[in-house]
Amino acid sequence: MARVSGVGRRLTPYLLLLPGAAWLLLFFAVPMGFMLVMSLEEGSLSSGYHLTWNWGIYPTVVEQYGNLFVRSVSYALVTTSLTLAIGYPMAYTIAFYGGRLKNALLLVVVMPFFVSFVIRTLNWQLILSDNGLVFGTLKNAGLLDRSFRFLATPGSVIFGLTYNFLPFMVLPLYVALEKVDRRLIEAAADLYASRAQAFWRITLPLSLPGVVAGSLLTFIPAVGDFINADIIGARSPEVVMIGNVIQRQFLNNNNFPLAAAMGFVLVAGTMILVGIYTRLVGTDRLTA
Amino acid sequence: MSDLERPSQIEIAIENLLRRDPISRRSFMRRAGRGGLAVGAALTLPSILAACGIGGTSKDKLEWANWPLYIDIDDKGNYPTIAAFTKQTGIKVHYAEKINDNEEFFGTIQPDMAAGNPTGWDVISPTSWMVKRMADLGYLEELDHSKLPLWTANCADYAKGLWFDPDNKYSVWWQGGITGIGYDPNLTGREITKFDDLLDPTFKGRVGGFSDMRDMMTLCLASLGINPTTATVAQAEQAKAKLLAAAKAGQFRGFYGNEYYDALSKGDLVASVAWSGDVTQMQLNDNPKVKFVVPADGAPRWNDNLVIPKKAAWIDQAHKLLNYWYDPVPATTLSEYIGYFTPVKGIPERIKADADAARASGDTATAAYDDVLAPTVAPTADQLKGTFDYPTFENPGDEKKWNDMFTEVTTATS
Repeated sequence: MARVSGVGRRLTPYLLLLPGAAWLLLFFAVPMGFMLVMSLEEGSLSSGYHLTWNWGIYPTVVEQYGNLFVRSVSYALVTTSLTLAIGYPMAYTIAFYGGRLKNALLLVVVMPFFVSFVIRTLNWQLILSDNGLVFGTLKNAGLLDRSFRFLATPGSVIFGLTYNFLPFMVLPLYVALEKVDRRLIEAAADLYASRAQAFWRITLPLSLPGVVAGSLLTFIPAVGDFINADIIGARSPEVVMIGNVIQRQFLNNNNFPLAAAMGFVLVAGTMILVGIYTRLVGTDRLTA
Repeated sequence: MSDLERPSQIEIAIENLLRRDPISRRSFMRRAGRGGLAVGAALTLPSILAACGIGGTSKDKLEWANWPLYIDIDDKGNYPTIAAFTKQTGIKVHYAEKINDNEEFFGTIQPDMAAGNPTGWDVISPTSWMVKRMADLGYLEELDHSKLPLWTANCADYAKGLWFDPDNKYSVWWQGGITGIGYDPNLTGREITKFDDLLDPTFKGRVGGFSDMRDMMTLCLASLGINPTTATVAQAEQAKAKLLAAAKAGQFRGFYGNEYYDALSKGDLVASVAWSGDVTQMQLNDNPKVKFVVPADGAPRWNDNLVIPKKAAWIDQAHKLLNYWYDPVPATTLSEYIGYFTPVKGIPERIKADADAARASGDTATAAYDDVLAPTVAPTADQLKGTFDYPTFENPGDEKKWNDMFTEVTTATS
């Protein structure tokens, strides 16, 4: 049996990293590079796009669409907070009191995934329409003014985002809470901690990895989402998000450089925000 | 292309709800209901074999790219008129619902076209202005009219010699319509006659706009008394300013694609920019109170066309398909199903005759349906008088400028 040489031993960790690194390179770094190059081109679809190192597009993007970037980030932040506020008690209840129903309850959480994202959103559009199931009934009962509307308002888009991304928050939270060693809570009780104290000092800190993972899984897709603003928001100028404009520039206007520049700013901006966040809470939270 | 690689019918249907393209609600509902079937069919043995590359690769079908939900379809998912064509000519057709947006589809074939390679399609169905762009770039085969006798005999006057192809050198009309205004008089409390009525502050937040640049900009230009077809960039700026002011004031509830249909028929919108064929469907199926009007200051007419891309493999067979659609029998079936403007003479009369036949056989529902439909499948002289063509954008940079202006409107923050 040949001994692994010293060199080989030192190389092993890097070799083990290779598949993951190749994945990142191929499906993240390279496309980002393409996107950056495309954003610096000028021309039209018919005449072709040519690289002119047009860096000037970036100030234009920030100046023209800065407010939409801010709006998208705020919607995503509100969505993340709401999913956390709703998802934490859900995950806690399932993990601690689920008993034999645990698997059934988890199934209920992921059940919406059996129906396409777009179809679910379209259904909310029907349910929440001005004279639909919810508001039509309330209006008929005289509880709401006839002119009230919810669709095509910022609140409705945040509602849609929260609904659609809730499972991405609940599942990591559940995994983290499920792993919490119950004996630690007993020990806290033995040491005269109240139930609230035990929660604040034991359960919550131990569940933080779930909070970090859940908020990333919710925040990142929510920033770039365009389906909710499209369908529930009816593309009202009041609610359009940066994803809607990227889609329009790319598919309808065939303005690939502008779409690429906006996409690049979105991804880079999201990475910076996520970097700050993980720096604040610590990446070890993700792996604990 | 195997069945497994193609999106299921339901995905296509949903995708198209999100975009601007002429589909009728009725066909959408039928098609959406079939989604499950299509998914099941994707896993049949032949399609799996095809996906694995087992089976013949030589060309045995005419490849036709069209817009989704733009043809008659039966409960089994077959296209009866295409089946009849195959029976008549022996030519098999692969009918692909591949065009969701003119620009987007153009993007998929442009690299091959520019390089002089075949695109894989034998027939495609672009809208008027796209026909012009492709013809100008030399991307289209010239049609041989000696192979299109039915077109010569049956094409209605309004459907030939149009601005984008004055001699029908490259294209024949597939189906068309008018972009006007749909409204429910009970909700507006008055009749709507012109584009400015949509901007009445009493309807604030309950008016639907379109996300389509051409429709919105031209309707607004017409309301300013400017001929939209020949409008300059400076004139377009005026239209933009008017739309932008309205958008900032919250006049438009949203800028819709096909979803305006539900919002209008359920009363979320009291009035909306609308496609002629859709409102007929709405009256017949969902809300009889909604009316369609061609704005007094003018409205864009549009049509999609059948063209043969350069280097198509089956040019002869493609001509046979083009000719076939000018046979009144399949043209009537098609119109009864999708309800846009047909290019074939005498179709309203044939639908009326079908209504009478249905009445005689006691099928009053079909008779009533066909009675309403018949007068709407061809434009009236009055309707045509008030319509105009889309801008031609002779200067290629102009279109981008118009797009930028309209993007500003749809992202306006107050």
